[in-house]
Amino acid sequence: MIEAIQFSSFSEFLAMGGYADKVWPVYFLFAVLIAVNLIAPNLKRKRILKDLKRRAVLGGNGASAQANPDSSTEVQ
Amino acid sequence: MWLWFSKLGSPKWFYELSSKWLPWLVWPLAIVLSTAVIWALLYVPADYQQGDTSRILVVHVAVAATSLSFFPLMAVAGTITLVWKMKLADMVAKNAAPLGAWFSFLTLATGSIWGSASWGTWWEWSDARLVSMLFQLFLLLGVISLRSALEDTDKAASACALLSIVGCINVVIIKYSVEWWNVLHQPSTPLSATADNPNGPDFWGAVVLMVLAMYLFIAVSLILSTRNEILQRERRSQWVQALVTKAN
Repeated sequence: MIEAIQFSSFSEFLAMGGYADKVWPVYFLFAVLIAVNLIAPNLKRKRILKDLKRRAVLGGNGASAQANPDSSTEVQ
Repeated sequence: MWLWFSKLGSPKWFYELSSKWLPWLVWPLAIVLSTAVIWALLYVPADYQQGDTSRILVVHVAVAATSLSFFPLMAVAGTITLVWKMKLADMVAKNAAPLGAWFSFLTLATGSIWGSASWGTWWEWSDARLVSMLFQLFLLLGVISLRSALEDTDKAASACALLSIVGCINVVIIKYSVEWWNVLHQPSTPLSATADNPNGPDFWGAVVLMVLAMYLFIAVSLILSTRNEILQRERRSQWVQALVTKAN
């Protein structure tokens, strides 16, 4: 496994055969894609649950959600 | 069969089932994705002409290939929405559009970076593959803005469903652009079984794994955002209320 690695040192790995300025931005963008589209839905879920809970506490079972449907925009 | 179908369309049923399924998708995603990235960065052989830019291609090819699945997915979901008025299908379609836009953008960005190293140019307007992929990004942004422009949820669902079905034509154009027109972008290369070939298993093995990782990623991300959509649209229902109180 170790012998099959294409680089003989860590600095060589970072240099990417002279293409460091091309390879690393691609992997950075790729990491952003993965991170954003996994983290964002999780943060949104927390926000939604918090908002729904707040409404449940404020106005009792479901009544509040119907009383002010406009407040759903806060969740967006 | 019909009972199963209507059950599948029930947001509550989907929410409960996906709660159980999610770990079984997240773990394979973590394993396949990290293996693919390590393989691409450490084990893919450098190309004899293009050096280590071959590592860019693993990401670019996988993201580009899977980006083509968004319009067909949205078209199928849209058809289900139009024919059976299934709310769940529309929720999936709604969340697929921004994710598809991300994929299309990343395809263009990574391709552009690769092109700057390999072709000596970031962009080529005369290349049908590049332009049709840019068009896909604009189409997806169009679907997103169409959705936000129409206030009526049902109308928005129908309009987006129609646009998604029409948008599939562009997917065919993207796919065959490299064959129909003489372009800068290379056609897909036949796979080779021999290890010493630049397109040998050391390379395409990483690509195949990355494609699998991207499908898992799309599945996980779409399930997460669809679950959010369900919580919002069904917030007045008993079961969501119960879920919120239980979370206290």
